[in-house]
Amino acid sequence: MFLERYSLYLRAGLVMIAGLLLGLFTTVLSLNAGYGFNPLEAGPWTAWPSVGVPDSDPYARAVVARTGESPLGRDQGLVFTASTDSSGAPLDGACDYSLEDPTPPARFWTLGIVSPRGSLFANPTGRFGYSSVDILRHEGGGFNIHVSRNIQTGNWLSPGEARQFNFILRLYDTTLDVDTQPKADHFPKITKLNCA
Amino acid sequence: MIPDRLLNFLPWALATLMIAAMVHLVSVLLMPALAPKDAYARLASYAKAVGINEGVVALPPITPGAEILSFEDASFVEAACIYDLSKRPYHVTASADGEDFFGLSFHASGGRIYHAITDRSAIKGKFDIILGNARQMEALENASDGAAPLQEVRITAPTSRGFVLLRVLAKRGSDQARLREQLKSVKCEHFDLPKD
Repeated sequence: MFLERYSLYLRAGLVMIAGLLLGLFTTVLSLNAGYGFNPLEAGPWTAWPSVGVPDSDPYARAVVARTGESPLGRDQGLVFTASTDSSGAPLDGACDYSLEDPTPPARFWTLGIVSPRGSLFANPTGRFGYSSVDILRHEGGGFNIHVSRNIQTGNWLSPGEARQFNFILRLYDTTLDVDTQPKADHFPKITKLNCA
Repeated sequence: MIPDRLLNFLPWALATLMIAAMVHLVSVLLMPALAPKDAYARLASYAKAVGINEGVVALPPITPGAEILSFEDASFVEAACIYDLSKRPYHVTASADGEDFFGLSFHASGGRIYHAITDRSAIKGKFDIILGNARQMEALENASDGAAPLQEVRITAPTSRGFVLLRVLAKRGSDQARLREQLKSVKCEHFDLPKD
């Protein structure tokens, strides 16, 4: 009796609550999906050039405000992250990986390891990445980084105890063209070696 | 024939979607204004914690657990200048040694970047930048009419609060201490508009 009389109001209320939840859910989804529009993709590496320009889109702005980061200006450089290896399998802290040259053209670059939320991992090396200047190179200029929880010789990065991590490649004063999709074979190759 | 039940349900479903779309758009657009821990808030609370109201705030080395901003490059030595243009314009001067990557990025509160340069575009190795709102820029323009050519770069800031992030790349870990000293020579200060 009571329900029948107010069923219209009840339905309207349900619609409002459902709409609110659905709207917030899509916001969370879209903000977790990246920094707005037009990513640059090269194999496992992704960059969002539109995040570093003054007229960045509302999604990019919302993500930046939420994560508490200060993006690199488009004129300063580009940041590429990778959450999978070159074959597309997600990175796993229990596995060893090898990163191999080349890197795209840039005045300087740094290549490091970072949590999906953008923080550093405490690890026994006290090292979070290598720069184009301080990395050990082979004869001929190539390089190789071994990513492992266990001590390695040469260039070694450790994700510590973390299970999930991303690689982050920052190109400073890069001449990379952001209007065309870059080639994957100009970027470091990520190979899974073995898993614990 | 479409069953009656479905026809009855359709307007409610449409209404739900409408509300969801509105909630989604509003929440994305409001995020920069409402996010409690955006880059500006993090830097401002750090400056307050170390007791610096005016001038350059040297940021601590980027190590796990001590990061102020997320997604910062651990190879960098950083400082920030936090400004409020509501009363007076702001002057930033810094010098680059031409060898190390030195980037200045200008962020509005909310984290959006509105200008970015590197030492490549410094004039004779010097950065000399004035920030102001539109009214202050006009006053400066009038004051300097017909005077000597401009020495400094003038930038109109989109919001009265914001920060300048100064980043110097320490190509080797051993460069960090020297660059930390170098960043101390950066000057950031509010100044009075010339009286006319």
